[in-house]
Amino acid sequence: MSARKIVVTSGKGGVGKTTTTANLGATLAKRGKRVVLIDADIGLRNLDLVLGLEKRIVFDLVEVAEGRCQLRQALIKDKRFEALSILPAAQTREKDAISPEQFAEIVDRAAEIADYVLVDSPAGIESGFRNAVAGAGEAIVVTTPEVSAIRDADRVVGKIAGSGKPIRLIVNRLRPEMVRSGDMLSVDDVCQVLSVELLGIVPDDEEVIDTTNRGEPIVLNETNRLCAIYEKIARRLEGELVPFTSFDNPSFLGRLMGALKAG
Amino acid sequence: MHQLQSDDHAVGGDTPAAENVEAKDVKLGRSIVLTSGKGGVGKTTTTANLGTALAARGARVVMIDADIGLRNLDIVLGLENRVRHHLLDVLEERVEIDDALVADKRSEHLFLLAAAQAREKEDVETAKMQALVTKLRERFDYVLIDSPAGIEQGFKNAVAGADEAIVVCTPEVAAVRDVDRVVGLLGNRFRPQLIINRLRPQLVRKGKMLSVDDVNAILRLPLLGVIADEPEIIVTTNKGEPLALRTATPTGAAYHAIAARVAGDDVAAPMPAAAKVSLFERLGSMFSGARR
Repeated sequence: MSARKIVVTSGKGGVGKTTTTANLGATLAKRGKRVVLIDADIGLRNLDLVLGLEKRIVFDLVEVAEGRCQLRQALIKDKRFEALSILPAAQTREKDAISPEQFAEIVDRAAEIADYVLVDSPAGIESGFRNAVAGAGEAIVVTTPEVSAIRDADRVVGKIAGSGKPIRLIVNRLRPEMVRSGDMLSVDDVCQVLSVELLGIVPDDEEVIDTTNRGEPIVLNETNRLCAIYEKIARRLEGELVPFTSFDNPSFLGRLMGALKAG
Repeated sequence: MHQLQSDDHAVGGDTPAAENVEAKDVKLGRSIVLTSGKGGVGKTTTTANLGTALAARGARVVMIDADIGLRNLDIVLGLENRVRHHLLDVLEERVEIDDALVADKRSEHLFLLAAAQAREKEDVETAKMQALVTKLRERFDYVLIDSPAGIEQGFKNAVAGADEAIVVCTPEVAAVRDVDRVVGLLGNRFRPQLIINRLRPQLVRKGKMLSVDDVNAILRLPLLGVIADEPEIIVTTNKGEPLALRTATPTGAAYHAIAARVAGDDVAAPMPAAAKVSLFERLGSMFSGARR
């Protein structure tokens, strides 16, 4: 049984790729899966910080690619979970220190020892993005309900769609009260523009800022509502049909469509 | 020469600089790159608001969107339907600069040079980008360059033509780490100054967010100002109306104070007002006060 190799990407930065990767990975691990997370953001790594593992880094992705260490030596086990480990990015190198072929090979090697390999893509659509996508068999696109994030997500969906990889969407940082007052795009608005399968809706939660700074993924806190939400996302990813929470739907769509056409 | 801009206000037409390019004593405008390493911290929003506020002071401002392939500055300014030509059209000499500059709806001093949406960052020749910025500096007081996230080719192109840098950082460990890396890459030449964006005073007070001092203990940069996290920013960004247009709002006023500081005025760096203390917190502090 081969592992699922999933890239988490967005185009726009700061929408929550790294937080999503960490929390989804941790949730899958809680559900008994063997999970390897790979930080593809060479030069601006952050996945290690979000998981609080930054002090345990010995080797990194580029050193594995260059054959200076084994993959197993570079993997950092997150001891809070049964089987979660991360492969950190190099901090003082450039994204083109590694080729898409090398990246794909590392993802394949990680897949031999895991059920899920999640690749945390850098922002943008440059070589770092191309590396991150290279080894993946499927993609999760993360967006926030903002016009600029959706435009960027649309561009990224277009880039990945050509490869035939299945794409699923996570709408992150939704503020239901702003959707209701007509000040924020609704999930329906977002889905209509991007027309990819919806995997999850994650509400904005200020606890995330604090837990991220502390290096404790929010899903460690069983009482936080996001814990249950990531659980649902993980179950959907595993193929279960899990109903979505729905929100009211005022239309911001006119302007949005105009913006996308202009692009 | 083509003038796609406002009927009676040719780009640079009323500045001596535009007519006397050959004169050696031409005073060049300032070129400032806005960058951050991390994405989503507010580079584009800051560029749009700083540009709007500088133009409101009477300065002639052009904003360049250097995020080729993922442009957004046009959306934030509400100009997306007016973009006809873009940065690469100019760099590859298919159109004149004036054909590509989009005049802002609200200020006759403010212009946008949009990024190409269907091209790649690697398509930009760094030397040509430098030459373009120099040309624009002859005609504008400020050339603001909105950098893409990351430190790849797009970042390098954005930085290439700039003389100064403004780094935008949110009070988050990951953003601070990325900014620190970017400041290291920039070196001393750009005299980077800092804007701290999206501060939530309530969270800082509860010890759940880094404070301004926490951030700057690590970065140690001259502080231009601090902008609070307001839902209004999301609303105005989606609508394409920068908050700096509303000088009566605290955030709008803060952008104007930052613009004044960029221009060299001796004004204090704006700080978000301490948020209203909730009844619960007041009760809490009353009780702890009573115990003391």
